[in-house]
Amino acid sequence: MLAIQTKKLCKYYGEDLGVKDISLEIEQGEIFGFIGPNGAGKSTLIRTLLGLLIPTSGSAHIFGQVITLSGETIRKDIGYLPSEVNYYDEMSSRELLEYHCRFYGIYDYSEIKRLASIFKLDLNKKITDLSFGNRKKCGIIQSLIHKPKLLIMDEPTSGLDPLMQRVFFEILRDEHERGTTIFFSSHILSEVQNLCHRAAIIKDGEIKATENIQSLQKKQMKKVALVFAQKPEHLKFTEGIQNEEWQGLKLTFEYVGPLANLINWMSSLDLLDAILEEPDLESIFMNYY
Amino acid sequence: MNRNLFSKEFKRNKKTLIIWSFIVIILTVLVLSIFPYMKDMGDDMAVMMSKLPEGMTKSMGINMDTFNTILGMYNTYYGVYIIVLLSIYASTTGATILSKEEKEKTAEFLLTKPLSRKNIFNTKLLVLFTLSVSAFLLQTLTAVIFVFVFGGEEVQWSVFTTMHTHGLMLILFFTCLGLFLSMVLKSKMNFMGMTVGLVFGSYFLNAIAKTSDTISWIGYFSPFHYLDFSVSDPSYSLNFASVVVILFICILLLVTSYKMYAKKDISA
Repeated sequence: MLAIQTKKLCKYYGEDLGVKDISLEIEQGEIFGFIGPNGAGKSTLIRTLLGLLIPTSGSAHIFGQVITLSGETIRKDIGYLPSEVNYYDEMSSRELLEYHCRFYGIYDYSEIKRLASIFKLDLNKKITDLSFGNRKKCGIIQSLIHKPKLLIMDEPTSGLDPLMQRVFFEILRDEHERGTTIFFSSHILSEVQNLCHRAAIIKDGEIKATENIQSLQKKQMKKVALVFAQKPEHLKFTEGIQNEEWQGLKLTFEYVGPLANLINWMSSLDLLDAILEEPDLESIFMNYY
Repeated sequence: MNRNLFSKEFKRNKKTLIIWSFIVIILTVLVLSIFPYMKDMGDDMAVMMSKLPEGMTKSMGINMDTFNTILGMYNTYYGVYIIVLLSIYASTTGATILSKEEKEKTAEFLLTKPLSRKNIFNTKLLVLFTLSVSAFLLQTLTAVIFVFVFGGEEVQWSVFTTMHTHGLMLILFFTCLGLFLSMVLKSKMNFMGMTVGLVFGSYFLNAIAKTSDTISWIGYFSPFHYLDFSVSDPSYSLNFASVVVILFICILLLVTSYKMYAKKDISA
């Protein structure tokens, strides 16, 4: 049985396209990445899977059950972290999390304390007094606390400081070992590469490719900036370099190919400085999708 | 029905229930406890009333006898202020009970819980009726006690029952109308102004209609025309047909609201 299976799932808002012809198959226990620029339709798909949006056409199953018919049962096994966490302002985190637990028939609140101490969240503060990052922490705890079989996380790391991000990724790895399926949506490529087994790339509401992370890494593009001691007269570029541009002694370009080739080539040059950067998602999309 | 949702939702609305109930109870106590003084002045009042323009007294449902009986006196407040206030409370609560979750973006939290939309709708509906009927009952109870204390033995309790049954029907109607409007209109708007306008509007429509026969037809558009408070009319009695029709309209509004809610896209 697949954790998530969609067939030609479409969502239109009136005339406007949300997502179109989404066909996905996600195995149980898999960490599945979902990457795309802002506004590509990531949240639309997630919200449709959760039953917040009613699909226009196509079908979707979660753990073998039809989302539009058995949403109530399916959601028992789902932990959801929205990209923007909005809770009842008048409640404290503790009240909110206890309220959440009771929907799942959980009346033992010890797990709330345990997770709150891991994430260093003050449970007594009112939601309205929490910063964006703390609200996010409350959201993360809320998505984990009822031990769901499927975690759906929409831009989970935004607002978390690097230390908390590390704690968060450790917890996700624990969850993975427990057998939890994780659907991880992000616009940050490196996050997805570090965590996920496979990833779908979405753009303009359509899935452009579903790839293994390894093959995505092979396609890995680097943004390179080199500063020369003096401008070489006849520079022979190695294969895979594109969009090169000179600014005085500084050369910038994009490189696609095996890293060893690039380093070999660079070692033959008389360089003062070299910067290798990860490109933004935009330029990867321009190149591949 | 989900108990967790019910108790949270009831707690959340308790404060407004207390405030609104308090206001109508104060009005009730006030008007009923001054009745003994008004009764002594009854004849003088009647003279004063006769000097008012006929259209005005008609539209307010006042005549010579109004201030001679406790129910006549009570009705100048009940049919005018108390029911209008309770209807505003009921329709505003109806309009916000579901839309508030969307306006404050908490719908995403609630609707991703293991609850069906049907269950959420029914639970919220139960909270809604608990609130509006509670406000009604608290006021009615106060009125019963004070009418009993100050009214003596000549109180026509059948008239009192008719008044309050008509009142309850109006409250139920505006409760359902509020809920229905929140489904039809954008959930992020502010409903308070609109519901005040609707309740007052339909009240005045009926009041204006009563001033003159030539425009009496506009009263047909107001629920206050069908569920009236003309207690000084000797034939005043429960308008059974209106009650049935209003209840039918209520069910229609609720079913339509549910159908819309079940298919609604919850925006981010």
